[in-house]
Amino acid sequence: QKNVTSVSLFDAPPNVQTIDNCPEPVIPAQFCMQSSEKKNPPYGYCCSTLNAVPQNNALLQKSKIPFGIVLSPYKNIGPDEPEVPVTSPEVIVRCEICRAYINPFITYVDQGTRWKCNICHVVNDLPAFYSWDSKTRQAVDRNTIPELNSSVVEFVATREYTRGPPQPVVIMFVIDVSFQSIQSGMVATAARTILSSLDNIPNYDNRTKIGFVTYDSTLHFYNLNANLTEPQMLVVSDLDDVFIPAPDDLLVNLSESRAIIEAFLNKLGNMHKTTQNVSSALPAALTAANKILGPIGGKIAVFQSNIPNCGKNSLKKREDPSLYNTPKESTLLQPADHWYKDFALDCSKKQICVDTFIFSGQYTDVATISTLPRFTGGSVYFYPGFDASRAEDATKFSSELNRFLSKKIGLEAVLRIRTSRGLTIKGTYGNFFLMATDLIQLPNVNPDNCYALEVNIDKDLTSEKYVCFQAAVLHTSNNGERRIRVVTNVIPVTNNLTEVFANADPRAIAVLTAKKAVEKTITDKLEDARNLIISTCVDIMGAYKQAFTSSGQASKLLIIDNLSLLPVLIQALLKNIAFRRGNIPSDIRSFALSVLLGSPIENSLAYIYSKLYAIHILDANTGLPIPNTSEVYMPPRINLSMQRMTQDGIYLLDNSQHIIIWLSRGSNPELVNALFQKPYEAIPSGKTTLPTPNNDYATRINNIIEFIRKSRLISYNNLPYVYVVKEEDNNRGWFISHMVEDKLDSELSYPQFLSHLREQVNINY
Amino acid sequence: MSNPFEDIEDRDGIRLSWNVWPSSKAEANKFIVPIGALYTPLKEKPDLPTLMYDPITCKPPCRAILNPYCQIDVNAKMWICPFCLQRNQFPPQYREMTTNNLPAELLGVYTTIEYCLSRPASLPPVFLYVIDTCLEDEDLAALKESITQSLSLLPPQALVGLITFGTMTQVHELGNNECPKSVVFRGNKEYTSTQIQSFLGLSSSNIRQQSIPGKGMAPANSRFFMPVQQCEFTISNIIEQLQRDPWPVKPEHRPLRCTGAALAVASGLLEACFQNTGARIMLFSGGPATEGPGMVVGPELREPIRSHNDLVKESDKHYKKAVKFYNNLAKRAAEKGQVIDIFAGCLDQIGLQEMKSLVNDTGGYMILSDSFTTAIFKQSFIRILSKDSQGNLNMGFNAVLDVLTSKELKVCGLIGSAVSANKKNACVAETEIGIGNTCAWKFCGITNQTTVGVYFEISSQVNQQNANRGLIQFATSYQHSSGQYRLRVTTVSRNIVSPNSNEIISFFDQEAAAVLIARIAIFKADIDNGPDVMKWLDRILIRLCQKVASYMKDDPESFQLPNSFSIYPQFMFHLRRSQFLQVFNNSPDETAYYRHVIFGEDTNNSLIMIQPTLMSYSFSEPPTPVLLDSVSMKPDVILLLDTYFHILIWHGETIAAWRKEGYQDQPGYENFKNLLEAPKLDAQEILSERLLIPRYIDCDQGGSQARFLLSKLNPSQTHMTQGGYGVTAATAQTILTDDVSLQIFMTHLKKLTVSRSS
Ligand SMILES: [Zn+2]
Ligand SMILES: [Zn+2]
Repeated sequence: QKNVTSVSLFDAPPNVQTIDNCPEPVIPAQFCMQSSEKKNPPYGYCCSTLNAVPQNNALLQKSKIPFGIVLSPYKNIGPDEPEVPVTSPEVIVRCEICRAYINPFITYVDQGTRWKCNICHVVNDLPAFYSWDSKTRQAVDRNTIPELNSSVVEFVATREYTRGPPQPVVIMFVIDVSFQSIQSGMVATAARTILSSLDNIPNYDNRTKIGFVTYDSTLHFYNLNANLTEPQMLVVSDLDDVFIPAPDDLLVNLSESRAIIEAFLNKLGNMHKTTQNVSSALPAALTAANKILGPIGGKIAVFQSNIPNCGKNSLKKREDPSLYNTPKESTLLQPADHWYKDFALDCSKKQICVDTFIFSGQYTDVATISTLPRFTGGSVYFYPGFDASRAEDATKFSSELNRFLSKKIGLEAVLRIRTSRGLTIKGTYGNFFLMATDLIQLPNVNPDNCYALEVNIDKDLTSEKYVCFQAAVLHTSNNGERRIRVVTNVIPVTNNLTEVFANADPRAIAVLTAKKAVEKTITDKLEDARNLIISTCVDIMGAYKQAFTSSGQASKLLIIDNLSLLPVLIQALLKNIAFRRGNIPSDIRSFALSVLLGSPIENSLAYIYSKLYAIHILDANTGLPIPNTSEVYMPPRINLSMQRMTQDGIYLLDNSQHIIIWLSRGSNPELVNALFQKPYEAIPSGKTTLPTPNNDYATRINNIIEFIRKSRLISYNNLPYVYVVKEEDNNRGWFISHMVEDKLDSELSYPQFLSHLREQVNINY
Repeated sequence: MSNPFEDIEDRDGIRLSWNVWPSSKAEANKFIVPIGALYTPLKEKPDLPTLMYDPITCKPPCRAILNPYCQIDVNAKMWICPFCLQRNQFPPQYREMTTNNLPAELLGVYTTIEYCLSRPASLPPVFLYVIDTCLEDEDLAALKESITQSLSLLPPQALVGLITFGTMTQVHELGNNECPKSVVFRGNKEYTSTQIQSFLGLSSSNIRQQSIPGKGMAPANSRFFMPVQQCEFTISNIIEQLQRDPWPVKPEHRPLRCTGAALAVASGLLEACFQNTGARIMLFSGGPATEGPGMVVGPELREPIRSHNDLVKESDKHYKKAVKFYNNLAKRAAEKGQVIDIFAGCLDQIGLQEMKSLVNDTGGYMILSDSFTTAIFKQSFIRILSKDSQGNLNMGFNAVLDVLTSKELKVCGLIGSAVSANKKNACVAETEIGIGNTCAWKFCGITNQTTVGVYFEISSQVNQQNANRGLIQFATSYQHSSGQYRLRVTTVSRNIVSPNSNEIISFFDQEAAAVLIARIAIFKADIDNGPDVMKWLDRILIRLCQKVASYMKDDPESFQLPNSFSIYPQFMFHLRRSQFLQVFNNSPDETAYYRHVIFGEDTNNSLIMIQPTLMSYSFSEPPTPVLLDSVSMKPDVILLLDTYFHILIWHGETIAAWRKEGYQDQPGYENFKNLLEAPKLDAQEILSERLLIPRYIDCDQGGSQARFLLSKLNPSQTHMTQGGYGVTAATAQTILTDDVSLQIFMTHLKKLTVSRSS
């Protein structure tokens, strides 16, 4: 039992360096008795807001801490991370009653001939193959069996888990070829990138199929039959009654039709080059793609440069700055047309995932379009004002598209979540379609996506030492196998409020709260979401005050030390572009909402509280590769406040979407010149590509930047732009808006926020 | 012996049933057969004078064109119109005219003359290929070959477009694209022409732009139509790559074929790009429409395609709807000056019966063949694109035939491949025959063979005691395939005589009359398909005989017809038995085809269709025409039958046996060899003259193919008239038919004509 150490928040600034100190996987005490280490899953797969579960709901209510799990069962695996062990037992052993998969946290009974389910406590027979290997005629060492030792494991599914042949990788590219798309160079860049990525698309057993639909005010289909000498374009103009103009050959086998696909992609960039058509019939194009993919499922990749302004269910420019900061602003963040959700649900049913790449410099109604990936397990990629003639734009899009095409995905998936009796799931957040409270339909298990569950305690857990969560993703892997990814997590139960507080995780609380607030924004009002965020914090602080502080301490604002980051994370969340007050174009806000809803925990945390580094003074190792890893020694994080910055400093800010290099007016000219190979005055601000380093300083800074970019690309398929912001630039406000501990417009500074919190706590508790 | 009527026909392209006219309507009615003209407006004439100026016309409303029947006053430079008797001043350019130096249009020998009008030339002709892809591979390959070949036959500047269809319709772009591109339309949906045009990206502003000749085409058009010399490579490529319709055909089903939708798209496309500039939609179809508008039969094979019986019983569920759809389409196409040709390559029917108005109303071609691999299709198609010595196609477009009559006559109507131009004036009779209520007709397509039947009546209002002649002027304005606008004018004059003059009877052209009556009968049959036509034919024949024959009442033996009527009853006998009226042995499509063909042909060809010719070849005499009678079938002769649609060579038993033995290949049997060759050579000659290639049949006595011959012969010897001992007479083959023979027919005719009661 920990002792309560309260921190007085007014006394010290938040120690932001600890944000990155994610807890190590817990080795649950009960299981330490056994010979092998049975750890909970690494933080990135699964983390809980509470690492000690209250024994009953009353105790949970007393803590006011939201109980939830943040889950990325299929997360991208970084270069230094171990692969998930794959296992193919003769039989996949599951509990007779609750159907949980056998896992490290079961207990053996009857001399190890039977096992007790850690979720429902029913005792099941243990098949003989876990005791005796009939092939080698030897006793089995259970410590070597992955599913009995690893809390993240992947079963190769046996026949009973397969319905018909497994789905191949299927990608339908749906590309806007209206004037804007051609002018911006999007189509040419997409064509070139797809062409160069063809070898990277998972294509196990040569089963992968791809196809293309392009559109302006008409739809263009492409016959890519392998026997043709050149592709044939079929135009369908009847947008009110969309039909497929050919029965086959619009979706073709990547290997068989490789030559003609390449021929097509070589032509695509020029095919519409003279267009004057400014219309964009996205809904019709989607309908067409859905019809083509319907029978087998797959992925629709949408490349949209324009507001869908043509045909049925087209969208109008409804952006209206006069609604900003009014209760009606929320309407701009909600879908304009129900069709997009209905369509997405239909796709989900047919195992179709929609990913959207959005390029417009104008209002595109991201709020409505992002409905498509939201309900199908897809992602939103956003390139406002895309211009391929800028190398940075072309590189970013091209890298992300390449990664999009080459990354591993799980197909035709369902995610089932099992919990110990007494726990129920009361809310789920993320990009998916919820079929039942514990069953999530995922046409693709997108490794970039992260889900959050909020949990109720319905029953007294007095008899339980631990509660357990098990997430099982049944999917088709890229090699055509049906597999089940099983992530099992156990959390001890406590009857002690102190323990509840002492084992609470502010990161998970912030991320769960962010996802809940996104949901609230989309279904209710922006202001409700803000209230939700702040009251989460107020309630926790209030509950803590009631339980642990004496009456004389009202002037202080106290919290248990492990939650000391909570207020700053909550404040940062309120100041995130998704939620803060101010004149934020609704497309930008909607995109921010989609980032918060979808992205995994590390990415979300950086997005909420940007990582700021001083890069004008480096330690000996900073920027150098860490031996035997792919990592780089990073500088220490500093608080997001201008007060922490010096007049002669150079700073690097990583908000997960962008990397901003801040050049103070008084920056050391030598360093500036080393990095940019030109003097301060000559450095253009804005998107930039740093020159190839020719000195130690630049090499280190480039290492840092490349490390950040590479990790983001791997973890969330996002290659951050590098921006230069100089102190006197027009867009310095943008940089400053990340300084969440400072006062910004009507938003409070961190100390002011604390005062506000104290006031609220004192009023309510 | 030359036929005087044929001389007139050579000069003016016209044959009249009556060449001398009675002076009153009442009198004319007694002659039963109406005054009619079989007129070939663009008849090819080597000596046709072509004038390079616009014609002089009479004042409105008459507008008769200056012609040799005008009275002229050379001194006063005046002319009197023989139609309205108004005086007209010659224009200044006729000032030099003298009695010895008259312009061609006033010369008596040039009653038919052609003007090249000064209107600026139109765009070159447009050819829109509409190709069915629901074909067997062999058929598709043959069709692709023919179409590719046809491209090289088009004038280099001719504009071409391409539509293919099966389950759906594809309009191919011919402009320079990165890859072959086509616009696809659903096959099962009826689009309005506005929709079609908007889906093709042809806005109405583009239409205005292009119709100014000489200004070139707007870019929107050039996507779908290009001069063949510019796009031959592209279009040949598309055709070469053309695959069978890719949509799956369910078992026990016909392929889904959207012929109707494809034609609607074709028409809509042309309408948007060209109006009244001479355009052909050439449909190549290998089966019935089974999908969408104009569907002829359902896709399930167990549903048979309708027969004549179904049509009589009105039991076919698609028929009426389909006919309505195609009729509307035909009407719109005709209005916009589009010609529609149908080339059928199918053993079964493709729905010509439903679609016939498309061809009939627009003056297109109908070619019926069992497959696109047949010579009938391949050669007929190529012949349609034959050129004259100047290299111009034998195709006129957007023709309007105006008929003007002097006051003694009125025009009742026209029967032929045309639509009414809805022009009413004093010449128009109240009586309607064929397409009436107008004195002008439009032909979207016209050739130098196109022959129409025009019907007249003697007018009643005018006192005609003084009249001694009547006049008819045919003025055909058309777009020559060179792009020039031309006007062909034929003016004919016939004497009007007092009642009871023998001249009326002796100047009766029984051949022309038979064809004119046939056209009326077929026109009627096409409308009601019932037995009434037969009754009508019999009634008018009897009444005509009662008027012109000499006989004593109730004495059939006394019946005698004047020379000029001698074979008229025989024509009627064969007409009654012909496939034009006896439809039940044929499919509705065949009937539609036969009827379409006869409506376009001249007197001689029409007569062959009504009463086929039969030549006999033997060792004993030179080739001789013989009776179309079973008595002509002898063991030692070869017969050559020409029904116009079929050319049949029949070998008598003996000849057939010899041929089988191969005598013709042995030395010393050259005569036999020559005898075998002779009908073949004659048949070749006939084949070479016909635009539509007849079906060629070579058969032996007793062979199954011989039934084609038997069905055409007069059953003078049938099982009803067997020899006394129940054995077949040795000289003639028995025809197993219940038809009455010509002899019995004539006996009945005589009896009925002379009978008091009738
Ligand atoms: Zn269980
Ligand atoms: Zn006149």
